[in-house]
Amino acid sequence: MQSVSKTISHRIIKEAIRIRRVEEKFLELFSSGKLNGTVHTCVGQEFSAVAFAGQLKKKDFIFSNHRCHGHYIAFTGDIRGLLAELLGKASGVSGGIGSSQHLCNKNFYSNGIQGGIVPVAAGYALGNKLRGDDSIGIVFIGDGTLGEGALYETMNIISKWEIPLLIVCENNLYAQSTPQHINLAGDIVSRATAFGIETFEGDTWDPEFLINKAQGAIDYVRSSKKPGFFLVNTYRLNAHSKGDDDRAKEEVESYRNKDFLNIFSKESADYYNRYLEAINREIDELVDEILLESELPFENYYQHKEIVSDNNWSALESINKRQVELLNKFFRDKIVADDRTVFLGEDILSPYGGAFKVTKELSVLRPERVFSTPISESAITGISNGLALNGFKPLGEIMFGDFMTLAFDQIVNHASKFHHMFNKKINCPVVIRTPMGGRRGYGPTHSQTLDKFLVGIDNVKTVALNTFFDPAIIYESIFCEEHPVLVIENKTDYGKRILSNKHSHFLYERNDDAYPVARVRPAVSDPTITIVAYGGMADEMLSMLEAIFMETDLKPELIVPSLISQLPIDIITESAMATGRLLVIEEGSGYAGIGSELLASVAERVEGPIKMKRIAAYPVPIPAVKSLEHAVLPEKQRIVKEIKEIFG
Amino acid sequence: MALLQEIQVPLLAVNDTTLTVVDVAYPNGQHIKKGDIILVFETSKTTYEVMAEVDGFVQYLCEAGRDYDVNQVVAKIFSTDAEVLKEPIAAKQDLTAQIQEVKQHIVNAWTGDTLYSVEALRLIESLHIDKSAFKGRDFVTRQDVEELKGINGIANKKIAAPPVTATPKKAIAPVDNSKVIIERLSSNKKREIEFLSPVQSTGLTSTINVTVNTEGIFVHLNRSLKYFKNSLLPVIMYETARLLQKYPALNGYFTGDGIAFYKQVNVGFAVDIDKGLKVLKISNSAEKTLADIEENIMALSTRYLDETLQLEDLTDITFTITDLSSEGVAFFRPLINMMNSGILGISAIDDKLQRCTLSCTFDHRVTEGKMVATFLKELANRLESYRATNHIYPVKDIICYKCSKSLADELGDVGFVKSITPEGKEGYICQSCLKGF
Ligand SMILES: Cc1ncc(C[n+]2csc(CCOP(=O)(O)OP(=O)(O)O)c2C)c(N)n1
Ligand SMILES: [Mg+2]
Repeated sequence: MQSVSKTISHRIIKEAIRIRRVEEKFLELFSSGKLNGTVHTCVGQEFSAVAFAGQLKKKDFIFSNHRCHGHYIAFTGDIRGLLAELLGKASGVSGGIGSSQHLCNKNFYSNGIQGGIVPVAAGYALGNKLRGDDSIGIVFIGDGTLGEGALYETMNIISKWEIPLLIVCENNLYAQSTPQHINLAGDIVSRATAFGIETFEGDTWDPEFLINKAQGAIDYVRSSKKPGFFLVNTYRLNAHSKGDDDRAKEEVESYRNKDFLNIFSKESADYYNRYLEAINREIDELVDEILLESELPFENYYQHKEIVSDNNWSALESINKRQVELLNKFFRDKIVADDRTVFLGEDILSPYGGAFKVTKELSVLRPERVFSTPISESAITGISNGLALNGFKPLGEIMFGDFMTLAFDQIVNHASKFHHMFNKKINCPVVIRTPMGGRRGYGPTHSQTLDKFLVGIDNVKTVALNTFFDPAIIYESIFCEEHPVLVIENKTDYGKRILSNKHSHFLYERNDDAYPVARVRPAVSDPTITIVAYGGMADEMLSMLEAIFMETDLKPELIVPSLISQLPIDIITESAMATGRLLVIEEGSGYAGIGSELLASVAERVEGPIKMKRIAAYPVPIPAVKSLEHAVLPEKQRIVKEIKEIFG
Repeated sequence: MALLQEIQVPLLAVNDTTLTVVDVAYPNGQHIKKGDIILVFETSKTTYEVMAEVDGFVQYLCEAGRDYDVNQVVAKIFSTDAEVLKEPIAAKQDLTAQIQEVKQHIVNAWTGDTLYSVEALRLIESLHIDKSAFKGRDFVTRQDVEELKGINGIANKKIAAPPVTATPKKAIAPVDNSKVIIERLSSNKKREIEFLSPVQSTGLTSTINVTVNTEGIFVHLNRSLKYFKNSLLPVIMYETARLLQKYPALNGYFTGDGIAFYKQVNVGFAVDIDKGLKVLKISNSAEKTLADIEENIMALSTRYLDETLQLEDLTDITFTITDLSSEGVAFFRPLINMMNSGILGISAIDDKLQRCTLSCTFDHRVTEGKMVATFLKELANRLESYRATNHIYPVKDIICYKCSKSLADELGDVGFVKSITPEGKEGYICQSCLKGF
């Protein structure tokens, strides 16, 4: 057995013992059935936590992963909150909602999605940089996470944008059950070097060296305001989680013998036992106390709210400006006036100003707040999430709606969940904008309407702009939101003027909701069919109303929601009950679509029969060739024909 | 500000549950004087004028050419112009809802042009409707056109614009205003059509005629008749009622998938003397004596003329007799009323031939020709049995056309001579006048 350094501070040794004891306690509690779910212990890796998390300043921040207890304890010292969290108590750091992998306290955040926290951490760090303070951040990843793309998108960006974030890669040679030789190609450190990121290396078997090196890396990031990458070689002595360990006994044993605390416990048994005793007492007392506590009442976590739409309708006026001009005008005002505003997206810098020119000249007005990103939708969204967590109002632009799939993890597993999984301690008021829709001949991967995949994300609002009123009304509301909003813009609507084709036979109105519902109805007659359409499809319908009347013999009322993740069911139901006919038209394909959601919700409410129909795009990729694109998307002839067939 | 007078649809005749407004004399909001005729209703065959009882401003809740339920408020007179709502409301509807709609539509009063659906245009063209009928509307669908024309009887939630002409239900015949002059059907006529359509419209009816020898028929009959001397109606009703018990198929109706037989015989008779065509009921006719029946005919006719008929005088009629004998017709084809399977028509007695035609129209779905022929033959036989056979004339009734002496008063034993009077008529002359004293 080798001997360990005698110069290392006992405070640090005590901290490492404490981390180990807490985690061992978790395993005990788990075996005795007092702990729900799962734990990933860092037994054997504690000095990594102590070296990095332990040496940060209070104003700094940490994003960690599933193996986060050590990082948490080292950074916050809050053993009680951690114990209570894993015991599922209301006093837990995340109210028992998050448990082991979802901790949030004093600038500490962890999430169980591998790689996803890296761009979030980068966004958070970018926020600090924009604010001009010298706080930095650390994000912990495991060696297995070197397989995640989001990591590399982010490494590229933090290097390019000089974001003060230290990536600490804890290389324990395994990803869950998989040894590194199976899943890792090439070299780890040179990955970072390739991005031009300063790299550092150390191991947990020489804590003193690691701690010094870590301090050096932290100082480097703080002073240079540039990112760093630190490879910590280490080994976990316990199973990946609880009992899942297929590693060779001898291999594990060899690392056990090499472990600093194990050696210390033998070489300095007096000290070790004394420390151990005190720590055990502390932990046991806390556990006894916490076990008596109560869990979070459900109503504190969730309460159902009925949708009640505003019922004050005011007339809509035409505006002789293109939608894109109005958007650009609004953003120009905001970027100057609202200090929280940050724009991120591909090709959004002027003179280009974005693929659809929405962000034109914003980078001239406030260059430091407009970030033209690499082609990195995951990172754009993740960085936006991090900025939002850090108090900014980021507007991430995804160049084409089809690319939302690449941002999906950041929306569903991060933006959507942060607020709740951290027991409402934080908000993530991120905004992701994207143009959906076809009719421009862009073909299968640049024309689809993916809205139906976006409207079912809990705690995320999905708003669709339309050409019925100034989009600034919607964006003004979005700027007041405390939670994530996805904005569906529309490629063809950008160039259209607001309500340019008003027909004298119809009344054009909107209500006073934050995300107004627009409606168009016969000037005098009672309508005999309710048509719901939103976004780009609504504008299509607008120009079709007269023809629909002429050809189908039905007097249409068009209802245009803008908050499509929470449809104005009350308004729609009332109208449908009066007309007896309800048609919903969407530009996405129909199966499990927004129309399905709408009709189901209406059906749950109505009394008496209402004839209902969905019209949607056919379930095939949108062809580029005009005639076929036209045929796939809902178009006038088909709409009229289907109305006649169903409602005639 | 006050509502001074409210004009409701009056109950002018028991069976007129709706009346037609034929004239709306002033535009809405017009100042009118007490005594002005502001509204004209049509009942049966007469018109009924409504006079203003006060000076004021008139507001109509009706349109000319439409039917309104009795007691429905169709006009109001207000003290000021400001109180007057300017829109008309639809016929035969719940009033409160209409007024609410009126208010709503005042706000949105439409002065723009009218958009027509393709189907609406097609119908308008085929009916040669003047599009100005739709003035004040934003959109016009086929249903709107149909409602205006009273087609299909669709419940109309909407306010209808003033109709120009009204055609009977389902009778959609082209109208070219340059070639024809349209006269609207009275509400009575419409009801009549409604009444006759169900059985006749199937086309499965047929008529059988028989002649009745009437020679000498009134010799005895007139003695038993109190009011209707020389009329066959009472005795035909009397005999028909009895006979119908033997022919239940003629005392019933076709239900659509079966035949309904009435349990009682209630023969009705049609009258049309200035007050519109009506069928009046003699209930339980088969149990009544000839005198009773005559009394009943008399009483009902009086009520008909006095317009004091009761609902039960007009309902549950199981067989109808229509008497056109006073019109001198040789024979005709009567039409079956709804919920009847037959009708008997009485033509005029041919004085020369001493006979009269009885015509029975029957519903083929309920009975058939052979049976009806037997029924008619039997009826004719029964009637002919009333004839004074062997010319036994009632001596009291045979009067000398010269001296007015009756045969009964004749003291001689020769009797009177049948002769031709100087006017060319048949008559009698006594021996004294013929030969001299
Ligand atoms: C995106 C994602 N994929 C898979 C998992 C399941 N998972 C949890 S931990 C883990 C292994 C992670 O290995 P590594 O990054 O080396 O961290 P270590 O567990 O070794 O600390 C896996 C695959 C996950 N949590 N997130
Ligand atoms: Mg690992």
